[in-house]
Amino acid sequence: MSLPELLRLALSRLRTNRLRAALTMLGVIIGVASVVALVGVGQGTTSNITTALSSLGTNLLTISPTSTSSDGSTTLTLDDAEAIAALPGVADVAPEVSTSQNVTAGGETTTTTIIGTTSAYPIVRAYRVWQGSALTDVAVDHGLRVAVLGKTTADDLKLSASDIGSQIRIGGIDFTLAGILQPKGGAGFQNPDDQVLVPVSTVQKYFVGGDSVRTIGVSVATAGEMATTNARISALLRQRHDLAATADDDFQVFDQTQLLAAASTITGTLTLLLGGIASISLVVGGIGIMNIMLVSVRERTREIGIRKAIGARGSDILAQFLVEALTLSLLGGLLGVALGLGISALIARVAGWTFAFTPTTLAAAVISSLLVGVVFGVWPARQAARLDPIAALRYE
Amino acid sequence: MSAPLIALERVSRVYRMGEVEVPALDDVSLDIGTGEFVAIVGPSGSGKSTMMNILGCLDRPTHGAYHLAGSAVAELDDDALARLRSRTIGFVFQSYNLLPRTSALDNVATPLLYQGVGRGERMRRARAALERLGLGDRVSHEPSELSGGQQQRVAIARALVTEPALVLADEPTGNLDSHAGAEVMAVLRDLHDQGRTVVLITHDTDVAASADRQIHLRDGRVAA
Repeated sequence: MSLPELLRLALSRLRTNRLRAALTMLGVIIGVASVVALVGVGQGTTSNITTALSSLGTNLLTISPTSTSSDGSTTLTLDDAEAIAALPGVADVAPEVSTSQNVTAGGETTTTTIIGTTSAYPIVRAYRVWQGSALTDVAVDHGLRVAVLGKTTADDLKLSASDIGSQIRIGGIDFTLAGILQPKGGAGFQNPDDQVLVPVSTVQKYFVGGDSVRTIGVSVATAGEMATTNARISALLRQRHDLAATADDDFQVFDQTQLLAAASTITGTLTLLLGGIASISLVVGGIGIMNIMLVSVRERTREIGIRKAIGARGSDILAQFLVEALTLSLLGGLLGVALGLGISALIARVAGWTFAFTPTTLAAAVISSLLVGVVFGVWPARQAARLDPIAALRYE
Repeated sequence: MSAPLIALERVSRVYRMGEVEVPALDDVSLDIGTGEFVAIVGPSGSGKSTMMNILGCLDRPTHGAYHLAGSAVAELDDDALARLRSRTIGFVFQSYNLLPRTSALDNVATPLLYQGVGRGERMRRARAALERLGLGDRVSHEPSELSGGQQQRVAIARALVTEPALVLADEPTGNLDSHAGAEVMAVLRDLHDQGRTVVLITHDTDVAASADRQIHLRDGRVAA
């Protein structure tokens, strides 16, 4: 029998028992929908985290000291930053000194992080200027009292574009508002838009003494040079800090790409786990199909006997019942995919993610529903095909 | 005379019930020629049903040889038996055995489905067969919407649609009142008149009397 004939038989059979067909399909629908939705959630999380991490800066190496002495000074210095800038493979270097201060503008006051840095900071940390200008080399060289505000800080202080050039007070000292940064959007523990950038020399003059820095951000020229540049920086710093060959590093170099790799491993495992849990319900749906097909073979024993008497071969009967099971599981699979996409789109909207799905997932969901049909449909179909026509005809 | 359509040569069918062997058919030999109208008559327990199963290629003899239209049935596997049934035999059963919740037209067309006949051709031939049996206005009715006599006529249409060499009718009037029964017998008589071989299996001697030749079965053997 040809496939269209088998499909016509299966569909007309399912039509005569719609409620049963619908309930049987529901098992597969729920199974496939939960696989699609949960894998969608997993992939949404992955792309969300990846976006968040790459917004921190591309090809970013962050160098920080491993210990801070009691007076707040560290082993990393501005001179270290300058030496690193001269290394091959290094595109930009932004040392950072930070302090927490009250910032006042007009009647508004807020407490936020003041970062003393250089003109390279927006490049290294992937910020863009929204209004006004970034820190200039001139301001950094002369320790000018200028400030560039994160968007959140500016909003807190009710400062907008028209206030560029006006005076604000940081820790009781007058600064000129030079610019406002474009917001990155919050992800992670710290709001990247709640901070104030001032020249590093200014911070050292007014707030933090000494020459030490909290971190040094390094932007590497190309992604391929991350590892070698990392090694060069380590070697340079060990030499500059006069560390013996056996001594531990007094600094650590943190590679952005390693974090990305770790994060994607974690979210990949999470996605697999969610998908695995959801596939259990798909298997349960398959058992539902097998159950109903076995009942159906029993109920239709006489029909099978009739069909065999009037010329059906065992393989015709096998094909008829198998195609029935496959029709149930495939229809269930397609409806499940639609439902699953709907659910993950809804979750993505509620959680504010980008709605992520891959055609591979959908194809896998449909194929696994077909597999479920084959695996759980074959046995009942074989039972049907093996019935003895004489006994089947006599069956009441 | 050419080779008979049906040739049974010392056929036995033995059922094993635990340790005991029960011969339902015991050393039966008979020939039925093309175009004959034969009744196989016997009381219950005479081996009628076993005879019907053997003749209908639903079962194989334990011993002996059965040739149907030149094929040695005992040597065929299940698929070959199914093909032989499909091409050679049209069944009419006591309880009609129509497919439930399936229109008369689809019921009659089903044997052609297993012969691999295309849908259009199937429907055309099934409709023609139903019209021949006076059911042209009942094609879309399901079995539950038809009277017993009508159902049996649908079953006969289904038996005829493949133009089989042999029509095998197992107690075709057993579930019908005398009027409908007479109608069905008239149809079978008619088929015979058109040259088809009809084998009727019954316990009812009155019904058997309408056949041209009677074969009496008793205790699994052919009585004289």
